[in-house]
Amino acid sequence: MGMKIKFKILSGFILIIMMLVIAGIVSIYEFSRLSKSVTALIDDNYKTIEASKTMLEALEREDSGILLLLSGHWKKGREILDSADSLFLAAFNIAKNNITETNEDKYIEQIDQSYLRFKERWEPPIVGTAKENSIDWYFTDLHNYFLAAKNDVRALMILNQESMYQESTKLKEKARRAIMPGIVAIIASLVFLVMFNFFISRYYVKPIVDIIQSLKRHTSQTQSFEAGIVTKDEFKELEKEIQSLIYRFKKTY
Amino acid sequence: MLRYIGLVLIFNAVFLFISFLLALFLSEPTDISLLYSTLIALIFGLLPIIYVQQTSYISILEGITIVVFGWITTCVVGALPYILWGGEFSVINAWFESVSGFTTTGSTILTDIEVLPKSLIFWRSSTHWIGGIGIILFTLLILPKSNTSKLTLLNTEMSKLAKADFKYRAKEILRILLYVYLGLTLLETVFLMIAGMSLFDAINHSFATIATGGFSTKNISIAYFNSVPIEIILMVFMILSGLHFGLIFNTILGKSNNIFKSSVTRAFLIFLFVGVTLVSLKLYFNGTYPWWTSVRYAAFQVISVGTTTGFATADSVGWPGFAQLILIYFTIQCAMAGSTSGGLKFDRVWIFFKAIVKHVKMIQHPRAVFLLKVGGKAIDEDIEKDTMVFIIFYLFIIFITTLLLSFLNVDMMTAFSSSVTTIGNVGPGFGQVGSMGNFSGLPDLGKFILTINMLLGRLEIFGIISLFFIKSWR
Repeated sequence: MGMKIKFKILSGFILIIMMLVIAGIVSIYEFSRLSKSVTALIDDNYKTIEASKTMLEALEREDSGILLLLSGHWKKGREILDSADSLFLAAFNIAKNNITETNEDKYIEQIDQSYLRFKERWEPPIVGTAKENSIDWYFTDLHNYFLAAKNDVRALMILNQESMYQESTKLKEKARRAIMPGIVAIIASLVFLVMFNFFISRYYVKPIVDIIQSLKRHTSQTQSFEAGIVTKDEFKELEKEIQSLIYRFKKTY
Repeated sequence: MLRYIGLVLIFNAVFLFISFLLALFLSEPTDISLLYSTLIALIFGLLPIIYVQQTSYISILEGITIVVFGWITTCVVGALPYILWGGEFSVINAWFESVSGFTTTGSTILTDIEVLPKSLIFWRSSTHWIGGIGIILFTLLILPKSNTSKLTLLNTEMSKLAKADFKYRAKEILRILLYVYLGLTLLETVFLMIAGMSLFDAINHSFATIATGGFSTKNISIAYFNSVPIEIILMVFMILSGLHFGLIFNTILGKSNNIFKSSVTRAFLIFLFVGVTLVSLKLYFNGTYPWWTSVRYAAFQVISVGTTTGFATADSVGWPGFAQLILIYFTIQCAMAGSTSGGLKFDRVWIFFKAIVKHVKMIQHPRAVFLLKVGGKAIDEDIEKDTMVFIIFYLFIIFITTLLLSFLNVDMMTAFSSSVTTIGNVGPGFGQVGSMGNFSGLPDLGKFILTINMLLGRLEIFGIISLFFIKSWR
């Protein structure tokens, strides 16, 4: 005898359960990939962009502090410069420890050098020297270093912004990829159910109907019992048993 | 019947699993989509195997249904990895790429192939290889079935003309096909590697050549390699793949019925030679290329199109009209019956020409009796009639498809050449769909129409059409 009916029906259910479970696992896996990508996006680029903004703000404050020094406000100017310098260095360290893009280390190195050159200009005393009230010195010498440092920080920010944009475009694709297994699973499950229903009616319902009809024909028209079961399962066995029963019944009576 | 389709799906699952292993090995993001596709193919393949009883007899109509539905379900399953991957693959694009792969057409919707993960490119080439020999034939090889059922499927899958040269039983035919197919693939891979291709490129291009498919791993096809040895190897294997596999097998075994004694093979090769010469001369005298380049490009393009492969070394869209028309002729003619090529087949064209000669003689001598002979053997009038009907119907389908594409506002040249190239399972055409172009710009409905064309070409038209006229199952 071939496969048992119980095994066949169970296999059908196991297959559909497998399909749904696999679809679920794939979707969960894809969504966790998506979640990791979002986290990575924030970690990789967003942190550096924020640090760059802070560096730019610190540079602007340092510029204000220098202007105060030039106008003779030594104490106030130095206070602003010191706090802005601390702010800049803290933000710079965040960016330095978060290198995620190709060549980003070169951008960091560039900022480090240009800031150092800028700092070398304002760190020595200004008040009480020839530089005090010297607007020419500010514009011809110091301001250029300030702009250079600012441009380098801006370049780092743009690098991370562009990368963030590219990553977000990829995220859309990843989101689509996370949804697709679910959609495929729904369609596949529907097709599978239609097929399963076909098999149930073709291989389980039909044989029962055939046996009943053959029995009816046999009892009413005294035709030989032949249900025409082609499967090698319990239905075939039942057909044979009925045939045997009829044979024994005829033999007895 | 459904049991066979189940086996076809399981066979697909095996190749999908190999692609998945490659993705895993290369740590590519396609791993999940390939594994998921493998499991779906496996689950759908197992269901009919569990439920449907084995039979030793298959009627012709059942055979047709198995083949047609086998191809359609294969193409659906083949599209799954593309759909799950996304990118340029919308649902219709994935379907197009899958059908184009399995039918060994080689037309693509991809504008950038090189960005695809290698595992997906491998699956793409695998579809060619699986489709090349006819997935049904492959599946039958592993089936412990009676010859009756095998022959019924073989009759549907293989053209009548192809079987004329196969003087073996079904089991032997299948064995011959497999030996020749595997042997040629292996041999070409080795030769391409010796010529400088990487293992990955060599395998993929071998799959595409032996199946007369045409999918390349590079955006500009074979032009990327710019290597004469590679082009020569490909040309040799394209020609071999365009010949009757039974004759190749006989030649290897030293039997009398071989390539060198086959008049159809001789005629096919002469046609190719004449085509190469004409295109070379036109390209040279037109000043398109210097003489050596003219010969090099003309030989490759004519052989590529003439064997229905579809690789390219030059952009033939810019070639003179005469050269383009010669290529269009070869796109219609296709390669020999008994090869992995689809479409019209050279054998029919040869019978057609012979029938014209016979007809002219009959006009000259109305009372005389003339026999149509191919290779010294008289061709049955039924085959002659079938051939004529087939050619007319084939051209009619090209006309209808061109008409439908024109209705969708596709320009005339693109519409015509894409119709011809898809039904012939060739690959590139002219206009938007030239040898360096792709089918991405066509409307979605147009792409779908062309996939029907590909299936019609692969299944010899009547196979798929007769499905709609089934009246009984036994």
